[in-house]
Amino acid sequence: MVFPDEILLETFKHIQTDYRSLFSCLLVNRQWCKIIVPILWSEPIKHVDDKRLIKIYLSELNAKEQASLIPFNIFLPNYPKPLFDYASYTTTVGFHLTDGILSWLNNEGLGEIIYDIIETEVEFAIKCSLISMFLRKNEKLKHLEIKGNINMMILEGLRINNTVTYLDLLFD
Amino acid sequence: MDNGTSNSASENETITLKSCDGIEFHIDARIANRYTLLNNWNGGESACIPNVNGKVLEKVLEWCEHHINDPQLNCGDDDSRRRNTIIEEWDENFLSCDQDMLFEIILAANYLEIKPLLDLGCKTVANMMKSKSPEEIRSAFNIDNDYTPEEEEQFRKENEWAEDY
Repeated sequence: MVFPDEILLETFKHIQTDYRSLFSCLLVNRQWCKIIVPILWSEPIKHVDDKRLIKIYLSELNAKEQASLIPFNIFLPNYPKPLFDYASYTTTVGFHLTDGILSWLNNEGLGEIIYDIIETEVEFAIKCSLISMFLRKNEKLKHLEIKGNINMMILEGLRINNTVTYLDLLFD
Repeated sequence: MDNGTSNSASENETITLKSCDGIEFHIDARIANRYTLLNNWNGGESACIPNVNGKVLEKVLEWCEHHINDPQLNCGDDDSRRRNTIIEEWDENFLSCDQDMLFEIILAANYLEIKPLLDLGCKTVANMMKSKSPEEIRSAFNIDNDYTPEEEEQFRKENEWAEDY
């Protein structure tokens, strides 16, 4: 049975926060995948702090965003180029981002421990790179919450971005 | 209850619709008032609804008739009320037909812009997808897998975070 795209879209909207089911549907075939990726990647950071999610986002950093992480001896994921530009579908980046970064860092992100760098600095650097990346995509991002300090890269990103309509800065 | 539609109809008025295979239905005019597209085919004589056969139209109209007194949702009521997978018992029984008929009803509801029935059909299909493996879904809906094995593996990896939520 071949479903028209519009009917599939309507159908998937009814399970849009049931990620487990969406994951199965995504693997059914290419047509389903194309429709599900924008739904699945729309606001995962609202619900999920999984290191595997952060890993995919990290693989979309550009050279400049990666370069700002060099001083911290971080092992960036060595992925083949993702099949979709997943981050460009993300509409919401919330405070949860920090939890995801920590979970990734604690599991595999940190290389040899550099004693004079504390974890919060590393986390801050990654957070800034990722948020700059989301702002740079400049496609679907609407809702942005940032906890803690921001840096020049984020300020520059905010200057060029014209998709964000809600911005919440929560300073420590 | 005509819910404020401008051309209200009384209970006894009927209109005539004809399916694409020539079967005529005389329905309560209030139904056509709710779903404006049905009005377009009122008249019977030569006009008929393309793409919808008698068997399917009969089911669609049966649903419309049962729900004739439902409050009408405004566009603003949209998402939260509609985006769930709870289905009333009558509707569940109504759609526990064979899968081909279910898909025909969904296509007809889409074509005829009967939004609540389209939602209901899509919810039913969504429920059939829940908690199944990709392979189970393919076989439930008779869908071919057109991924290369490498591609499927890469998609699995890139999205596997979703599996646990």
